[in-house]
Amino acid sequence: MYGGGNYTALSLSLSLSLSLGLTVIGCFVVDEVSAIVVDLGSHTCKAGYAGEDAPKAVFPSVVGSIVGSVDQSEVGDTVKNEKESDSIDSKNGTRPFDSDKTKAKRKLYVGSQALGYRRDHMEVLSPIKDGVVVDWDMVDNIWDHAFRFCLILFSCLLLLLISSRDRLLIDPKEHPMLLAEPSSNTPQQRERTAELMFEKYKVPALFLAKNAVLTSFASGRATSLVVDCGGGSTTIAPVHDGYVLQKAVASSPIGGELLTDCMLKSLESKGITIKPRYSFKRKETRPGEYQVVDTDFPNTTESYKLYSQRIISGDIKESVCRAPDTPYDENSYANIPMTPYELPDGQTIEIGADRFKIPDILFNPSIVQTIPGMETFADSSPPIRGLPQMVLDSINKCDVDIRRELFSSILLSGGTASMQMLKERLEKDLLEESPQAARVKVLASGNATERRFSVWIGGSILASLGSFQQMWFSKAEYEEHGTSYIQRKCP
Amino acid sequence: MAMAFKMATTGIRVTDECKSSFMEMKWKKVHRYIVFKIDEISKLVTIDKVGGAGEGYDDLAASLPYDDCRYAVLDFDFVTVDNCRKSKIFFIAWAPVASRIRAKILYATSKAGLRRVLDGISYEVQATDPTEMGLEVIRDRVK
Repeated sequence: MYGGGNYTALSLSLSLSLSLGLTVIGCFVVDEVSAIVVDLGSHTCKAGYAGEDAPKAVFPSVVGSIVGSVDQSEVGDTVKNEKESDSIDSKNGTRPFDSDKTKAKRKLYVGSQALGYRRDHMEVLSPIKDGVVVDWDMVDNIWDHAFRFCLILFSCLLLLLISSRDRLLIDPKEHPMLLAEPSSNTPQQRERTAELMFEKYKVPALFLAKNAVLTSFASGRATSLVVDCGGGSTTIAPVHDGYVLQKAVASSPIGGELLTDCMLKSLESKGITIKPRYSFKRKETRPGEYQVVDTDFPNTTESYKLYSQRIISGDIKESVCRAPDTPYDENSYANIPMTPYELPDGQTIEIGADRFKIPDILFNPSIVQTIPGMETFADSSPPIRGLPQMVLDSINKCDVDIRRELFSSILLSGGTASMQMLKERLEKDLLEESPQAARVKVLASGNATERRFSVWIGGSILASLGSFQQMWFSKAEYEEHGTSYIQRKCP
Repeated sequence: MAMAFKMATTGIRVTDECKSSFMEMKWKKVHRYIVFKIDEISKLVTIDKVGGAGEGYDDLAASLPYDDCRYAVLDFDFVTVDNCRKSKIFFIAWAPVASRIRAKILYATSKAGLRRVLDGISYEVQATDPTEMGLEVIRDRVK
């Protein structure tokens, strides 16, 4: 890809772009230097290069944070020894985007590896609430991590392919950036994003694309109803001719994380304790025989303990759960055969009715309240609707002329969409409740990677198409028209 | 301007041949269907196949590839409930499951460009497998 001939053309166009401004970047260099695509979800952040068929970096969207009272220098030093590339000191460097609260001394840890290591007093925080960014400082750090990751990979690739004099190419300033955004993103959020991207990361060009639109395109449809079952929420968005019909977007706080929490609470109520990985050591006493020894870390925060337990509970959910064919009821599932699951500490637990009850929460949110410890959830008014009801309500808010088409192109995406039998159950429930003339069809990619990453993949391919290159919001346009121009460039 | 519309109308060009063939189909009834394809390198929408007078729906269905996307227009003849012979033109966006995602996205984002130069289409169908553009579906729409 970066052969000799191309290299000359590239460096020529790069120097041209410096003198002629960004039109050149928009038309030519963008084609050659691949864009970076980031989909920051409420649970997982996906990042990688445009044109590829899966994201290079996939890591948690939560951030580990240690606040000041601890001796800063000591923490800094130990961290540096452990994993330099994963720790970012939010105190250092220019940081024009500090959020309102003062975070004079806060150290943030991003990435699976940095978070996988237990640290005293480290809290695990999420920058995203209900699909919308609430802490920009953290988001900044997550983006930073994503770019660093891409950068390392990219530089390795370059070292293999060409000589080191091409360092210019690995500068993040040369990569256009395509970010996936939730349909509900506010104009203020979008402007903030644009400002951060151009001012701090100095990207040459930016584009914001709606999650639902990317999923729809990735399935080859300009019109569809996208059901995105994510980590923190579920969003239903009708897309018509590549445009989200905002007034008909529906969302609920029921996503994979809630199901994970319900699994955790339900197991706890049955007397099962899920020991986080850091809290024990397994010793091999005799070949093939292990003894579990509890370790004691009194300074571990509750949020870190919960984060670690959720990883295990999430895996239990993914391994054993299956959406029931009909609405769940205690009686018919009372004698369901138990499924074994081996916890990291070697203990084997048995899961029965919860296998079906927990996924059914997506369809019937009120059963959350029957899980001990979750009683207060879904106690809101208006009550949280189940998946089929949200789909019907959303379609009914659309123009009569397109309802038929929406019913026949319901696309399932997001991490929770991989739940077994979810597609079949949703299709069945919708068939029962939809108008007779409608042909209900729920589609989900047969390929698990494509289903889970449909948003990212959609963005990746879109950003690599020749016909897309004119769409970028360039740095020159940003400088000329300001941040609010993002609303016109990326409607 | 919606993203897909701009990409389709300024990023991809529809050849004059596409338009003239469609006009021949609409006015002179010389073609039964036309299949269009996109050439990504030249960014052109061109004609892939034209269905002659003796051909029909089945021939169109057979000429759509199993693993690549296409656009097609079909002149569909039918008899109404009060025994009137009529015909309506369908636009079909074909994006089969087995095609590459790149093709799916290219066709989904380029549709508006071709669609807006074809004046006189009554119905539009999106299909990712043969059942979604089945004869039954087509008949259902003209009812």
